[in-house]
Amino acid sequence: MSGQPLIEIRDLTKIYKGAEEPAVNSISLDIFPNEIFGLLGPNGAGKTTTISILCGLFPATKGSVMIDGMDSHTNLEKIKQIIGVVPQDIALYPTLTGRENLAFFGNMYGMYGSELRDKINHYLHEFGLEKHANKTVNKYSGGMKRRVNLIAGLLHDPKVLFLDEPTVGIDVQSRVVILEYLKEINKKGVTIIYTSHYMEEAEHLCTRVAIIDRGNIIALGNPNELLARHPEFKNLENIFIHLTGKDMRD
Amino acid sequence: MKKYLSVCRKEMLLLIRDKSGLAMLFIMPVVLIVISSLMQESGWGTLTKDPSVQVLFVDNDLDSLGMRIKNGFNGSGSFEVVDRLNQRPITAADAKNAVKKGDYLIAIVVPKGATSTMRANVRLNVAKTLAGFGVGNPMLLDGIVFRDSVNVIIYFDPTVKRTFKNALISSVRENYYKIQTEWVFATFNKELAMQMPLYKPPREGFREILQFKEEFPSFREVELIPNSTQHNVPAWTIFAMFFIVIPLTQSLIQEREGGSLFRLLTMPVSYMTLLMGKVGVYLMVCLAQTVAMLLAGILLLPLFGLPTLVLGDDILGLFLMTTVVALASVGYGLMIGTIAKTHQQAAAFGSISVIILAAMGGLWVPIYLMPPFMRAVSLISPLNWAITGYYSIFLRGGSLWQIAPQAIKLFLFFLSTVFITGIYYRYKSPMNN
Repeated sequence: MSGQPLIEIRDLTKIYKGAEEPAVNSISLDIFPNEIFGLLGPNGAGKTTTISILCGLFPATKGSVMIDGMDSHTNLEKIKQIIGVVPQDIALYPTLTGRENLAFFGNMYGMYGSELRDKINHYLHEFGLEKHANKTVNKYSGGMKRRVNLIAGLLHDPKVLFLDEPTVGIDVQSRVVILEYLKEINKKGVTIIYTSHYMEEAEHLCTRVAIIDRGNIIALGNPNELLARHPEFKNLENIFIHLTGKDMRD
Repeated sequence: MKKYLSVCRKEMLLLIRDKSGLAMLFIMPVVLIVISSLMQESGWGTLTKDPSVQVLFVDNDLDSLGMRIKNGFNGSGSFEVVDRLNQRPITAADAKNAVKKGDYLIAIVVPKGATSTMRANVRLNVAKTLAGFGVGNPMLLDGIVFRDSVNVIIYFDPTVKRTFKNALISSVRENYYKIQTEWVFATFNKELAMQMPLYKPPREGFREILQFKEEFPSFREVELIPNSTQHNVPAWTIFAMFFIVIPLTQSLIQEREGGSLFRLLTMPVSYMTLLMGKVGVYLMVCLAQTVAMLLAGILLLPLFGLPTLVLGDDILGLFLMTTVVALASVGYGLMIGTIAKTHQQAAAFGSISVIILAAMGGLWVPIYLMPPFMRAVSLISPLNWAITGYYSIFLRGGSLWQIAPQAIKLFLFFLSTVFITGIYYRYKSPMNN
């Protein structure tokens, strides 16, 4: 990749209080505009911690993060305006309707009135949720909840979208809708940083991936490049197993 | 400001849709007010003139003393004298047995010869006193001795509280002294008239010189009469307001565990705005609770024959007091909800701590009945500051100045809880470690 990176991560380290080993160990990484960047790794590898630091959710123990030329230490509020986050959990209020949830999160990005209403209607239409917009979220299926969860991160047209396991536990149809939409907004210029356990999904979606294990990046590159580097394996999942081992993780 | 209002709107919607939570916040305290007021009203003695406690009365004396004690109880309005069981006069053994079985709380046995013993002793006392003045013939008194005193036996059920027991014994004793004084006075007159023909006894009988008048000093011109309504409405209102800890902590923890807080913290909105949104809404809920409780005191309690709640003159003082109590309770909820790690922890600690603070603060047992150590401890309970402030308004007719010390303490408590919440979130929250 060439050009000016959109996200520059330098020597990023996170050691949780009382932990013996760092959750993230001196990671350095550049992510370029318009990439779909996959952070892959087994449970406890440090993916969610890395994304959480990039989103400004908690501070790193060491190192620096620059997003769109802004230091996350000094310009966090401005950074928050240009990023969208789709957490792994269904981060919605179950007793509010889909529309009420989206309106509330839109408000938190400073969107109000017709601008917000139009955006909500647009996304509800795009994700096939118009009919269910006024039902409370606790009556939604898993796939519908995932779709609303995604919309809440897209409402303010972020420049960078962080997705933490956005397709976990949903039906094939919802997964296809979500992945197609991610490709579409990426074409429109949104940079996507995405974590997943689904290697096949990452292989098809991502322009580049980093495989993280025990807080360290152990492989980085375009999925095709990685396959070329490991000709003995026919897909990304085999490379992943080869690099991270077959031991089950907590 | 727009973001703050959006947070408030979201909180309001979440609350409105939690039907069981709303019932706990509004219906439960009103029910508690009604039940406790009804239970305590006979203690305040204004609900009804019907006697509330039945006293078994065994009159083996069958003379003046027995009659007077019995009439004294009947006239008190607080006791119903029962002297027959199963259409038969009660014996001392029946009375003891009935109390032993727990059928009755109290039984009084006036022994046989109580009146004659008392009369004889009074007469001898008077004669000896007059003989000392050279009135009468002292020789006639030689060899006459006072009769042994007789015991009026009172059986108490073990569950009877000491204060109530003391009050009853005092009442019997008071009756006894009154009768004795009257007899001494009458015997003196009679003896003097016999010994001194020129002596003319007063036409009037013995008159009590000292009368007792109950007054309740108040800052109002019109005296406020303490009753169960005036005590219970503020006490349970405070309790209900502090019970907001439960829904508030649940809301905080649900937001944290559900991931919504994670999402919100990645958005351009401060944690303080999110917290203050909760403060705003739950403050309104507490104020609404207070209005509901006061309306229950004014409109609902009279339907049960209970006294109507009389608000003090200072509505501004009442509003201020309610606001600071509400802030203190919401602050306490924020603190618990931020520190607690799970729903179970928050629910258990929140509810138990409020009950402890209420008991400590004198919401259920007046502080003056507590031992000195507990009295000192009660002063650190915010619920004690709250009830002291409310009593100033509801029972003493106090105004803004009288409640100011409590109001300031409660406001400082609120600020402390918000400060601790902020510090905890900054340094201890799992999000920041």
